Amino acid sequence: MAQPPLSQRIQRLERELGVRLFERSSRRVTITKGGTLLLDEARQLLARSEALMATARRIQDGHSGLLRAALSPDITGEMVAATLAGFQERQGGVELELHELPTAEQLARLASHDLDVGLIHHPCDVSGLELGPVLRHELGVLLPHAAPAARLETVPLSALSGYELILFPRAHAPAVHDDLLTTCARHGYTPAAVRHGHGSSFTRGLLLSCRAVAFGPRDAYDARDPDLTWRPLSGAPLAWRHSAAWLKGRGDAAVRAFADTVTDALGRTAAVGPDLPSGPTHLRPAAEYWI
Amino acid sequence: MTEPRTHARAHARARDRIRAAFAEAGVTGWLHAVDIDSGAQVDAGADHTVVTASVHKVCVLVALHQQAEKGRLELTEQAECPPDGRTPGPTGLSAMLDPARVSLRDAAYLMMAVSDNTAADLLLRRVGLEAVNATTRRLGLTRTHAVQTFGEFVATLKEDTGHAGPQALADPRVLARLRALDPASTNRSTPRDMTRLLAAVWRDEACAPQHSAAIRRLLSLQVWPHRLASGFPFDDVHVAGKTGSAPTLRNEVGVVEYPDRGRYAVAVFTRAASPAAILPAADAVIGTAAHLAVDALRS
Repeated sequence: MAQPPLSQRIQRLERELGVRLFERSSRRVTITKGGTLLLDEARQLLARSEALMATARRIQDGHSGLLRAALSPDITGEMVAATLAGFQERQGGVELELHELPTAEQLARLASHDLDVGLIHHPCDVSGLELGPVLRHELGVLLPHAAPAARLETVPLSALSGYELILFPRAHAPAVHDDLLTTCARHGYTPAAVRHGHGSSFTRGLLLSCRAVAFGPRDAYDARDPDLTWRPLSGAPLAWRHSAAWLKGRGDAAVRAFADTVTDALGRTAAVGPDLPSGPTHLRPAAEYWI
Repeated sequence: MTEPRTHARAHARARDRIRAAFAEAGVTGWLHAVDIDSGAQVDAGADHTVVTASVHKVCVLVALHQQAEKGRLELTEQAECPPDGRTPGPTGLSAMLDPARVSLRDAAYLMMAVSDNTAADLLLRRVGLEAVNATTRRLGLTRTHAVQTFGEFVATLKEDTGHAGPQALADPRVLARLRALDPASTNRSTPRDMTRLLAAVWRDEACAPQHSAAIRRLLSLQVWPHRLASGFPFDDVHVAGKTGSAPTLRNEVGVVEYPDRGRYAVAVFTRAASPAAILPAADAVIGTAAHLAVDALRS
């Protein structure tokens, strides 16, 4: 904004509020104590007004608004059904447009305002986002029935060495992918090869045709499958971590209703909590910060 | 080969490869590289506002030398540094236990060589935050602002992580609310502003030649090999730089000099998707991206 109109606006605002917001001298402008006190309130007001505008946009055409929401592809069918039903109960007047999108694509669409709310997979770049509670699904290993490790009650990651790993395509959630491989390496399992695939029949086929394993939560595994076995991992080193996410300041009633719905639906099978590492976290000197 | 259109194509190709390298390393990155003598440049998000973190120590260093040049302070002046009240940090005076006494220029050495936060705040107190901003403003860095000391920066990190230590960074909700990662509430700049600053130092425009030479010497004494320098594993190529870091953020700005007198100012700022403290690929991609940019400028 050009300087003269900006100064006029500020002066008008100061008159309206009856508070001097800035000290002006010929060389510099500094915010007053009163201005600082009002700044927080003003920021909150702006954030609320964005949420109001988001709702307004949603209901511009007709009475029923539209909420564009997404779930990640690793979510079970039961979970999708529970989300649809639960949201209908909470916000019957709002039409839900539900997409299946990987985390990376959800983040891109949230940033470009093409998505209102999503269920994302952590870790990922959370800058500019507001998040619902983080839910943790412990992962076990899915392996051919005949594999020696299938006879163990719980499987240490190191017992999988020699097996290839079937994992979702890295582009879906690069940090989740890389973190999982780092944790495997930390616990003595460096896969001979990583095969990228998703979809349960594809994964099943790969599992049966070669010496490979996959990771997944217990509820994603069909216990009636005669050829595959699911086993917990010793020490529970791996987990999926999900949370609802939306752009800061855009969390209106419909967005929050969706966030609560997916959190509830996921919460039936997952543990709620931030899932902090149980071991130490060592910062090295090159980190430059010390906390 | 010297046709501008060929160069533009080479630079666009470099930009694509730089973006691919950032994605491969699991980071979002912003880069600006400029040939200090011809002004040719590679721009991959050069005007994005970024958190500078310790990269801002370069601005403190230039402000220190400008004040010395004006006779407002002596670089050999001794400063007392008692053990109490030091800014936390893993290196230099921040990590030392006993009372110390250093000259301003030796404090500057510690600030640049090992990113010593205590040395940086000692100098910042002597120079003043406003003088640092006056320095960057005069050099035309319109998007560069220092709003806090390094101690204040670390204090917001501790406060926002609930004094729970680095483990707390694994919680995405903690990460999402860190003020230290929000350019609006901490020291900030752009990649383009930072290469402008470095080019001014390398062209003796920021200070008189002997002061510029002293600044260049300190930037050359930085000990970290894992970021910018890792992209130039060549014994005949000289790399000078300053890193900056915060949870998920890894930055470095510097100048790369070739024996044929080619010299390039490069600024790389990255943000990792993972909060892990140790991500060698995210450090190394700063060097990889810088090398891609410099090669395009030299083609």
